[in-house]
Amino acid sequence: MALDNMLKKLSVRSPWLFRINAGSCNGCDVELATTACIPRYDVERLGCKYCGSPRHADIVLITGPLTTRVRDRVLRVWHEIPEPKVTVAVGICPISGGVFREGYSIEGPLDRYLPVDVNVPGCPPRPQAILEGVVLARSIWLKKLGLEE
Amino acid sequence: MSDTLFAILHMCIFPGGVFALAVGFFFKGLDRRVEARLQRRVGPPLTQPWLDMAKLLTKETLIPRTACRPAFLLAPVFGFTGMAVCAAFIPVPGVFGGLFNMGDLLVIFYLLPIPAMALMLGGSASSSPFGAVGFSREMLLMLAYETPLLMILLAVAMLVGKGISGGDWGAEFSLLKIVAWQQHSGSLGLNPVMIPALLAYLIFLPGTMGVAPFDIPEAETEIIEGPLLEYGGPLLALFQVASALKTFVVLGLGVALFFPGTICEWWPVNLLWFVLKCLGLMLVSLTLVKSATGRFRIDQAFRFYVTVPTALALCSLILVWVM
Repeated sequence: MALDNMLKKLSVRSPWLFRINAGSCNGCDVELATTACIPRYDVERLGCKYCGSPRHADIVLITGPLTTRVRDRVLRVWHEIPEPKVTVAVGICPISGGVFREGYSIEGPLDRYLPVDVNVPGCPPRPQAILEGVVLARSIWLKKLGLEE
Repeated sequence: MSDTLFAILHMCIFPGGVFALAVGFFFKGLDRRVEARLQRRVGPPLTQPWLDMAKLLTKETLIPRTACRPAFLLAPVFGFTGMAVCAAFIPVPGVFGGLFNMGDLLVIFYLLPIPAMALMLGGSASSSPFGAVGFSREMLLMLAYETPLLMILLAVAMLVGKGISGGDWGAEFSLLKIVAWQQHSGSLGLNPVMIPALLAYLIFLPGTMGVAPFDIPEAETEIIEGPLLEYGGPLLALFQVASALKTFVVLGLGVALFFPGTICEWWPVNLLWFVLKCLGLMLVSLTLVKSATGRFRIDQAFRFYVTVPTALALCSLILVWVM
């Protein structure tokens, strides 16, 4: 049991990020790429890695207002991610619809369909805010594992 | 009986098993760190591969409904076992001579492609179309980089064979004798005849390790990690362990073939020296190249491997032949 707890405690130091674009304008996606790539905000120092496959993901970053066309695909990909997972809504769009709110093709907000753990508002959010969101997601992940930080 | 026990111990503790894994993970961590520093980032802590392992062990394992279950589950075990056995054949100069009564270059040559084959098996068993694309790419790349490797091994074996027999024809495939011969008549890496072969080996390394610019079978931005796509949790962890062991094997083999010199009689210093040489090899051929390049297309990579490193290795082979 002690070993199990130790593994769980260590596990949050290796959050692999997966990005889902739910009909975003690409602003937040560019911001996510910036957060990962440019030296000042290097997200890899938290042990993060962007992974290509939903099966490898721990923290899901969802951008975009969840359009009608993309809804089922987003849900399907989200369900392919193994537990325990933490969902982060990046940008104002998945939170409230942003400028696309009440548009004819908008199915959002995202938490109508998925349990969202962290909201990172902004249009687009600053890199620091995204980093803070990832750090928050880490502590929520720890809670989901039944441990306190 | 005691021989068998001895061999098993070598596979589990030193130089295979625990030692190889520790070195492999250390190298992987350092590789990520150095790459980050080269791009002026901070980078992950050195323990990151161990943390990744801990994480993967706590994750849920999902198996696709349409996958071929036995092959899907066995593939990572396959790759891991192949590399764990292969690591025991790697000599650590001045410390351990390798499993000499059975270990020679040809055994290593046959064991080396096992992780790539495991990847191919896993990819095709996962029933994912991306896995199938990854399978075909891995296969092509393997065919391309195995040719120069065979030529490099032949060149080394022939040069040492000639050296031992004093000019007669003949090849020496025992790694123990290759290392011993170089220790008293000079490292092959410093021999002008073998420099093209050394260059070819340095080019072979990124291909066999599947890192940029040759990470084509697992290209995460095009075919979302290809064969590894459906793997997650402990199964993926096993693939990572196999990859770390393979790092140790190919770097250790490079040191044994080209730079097996020792600096003193005391074994801890020799051990450290061996790790440092492996590290140098890794930084030059994997980390620097990886952090500065993009990704080849599969046809470009294939053409590159069947021309440049093959020509270099052939060059050495012919030079050894005529001299």
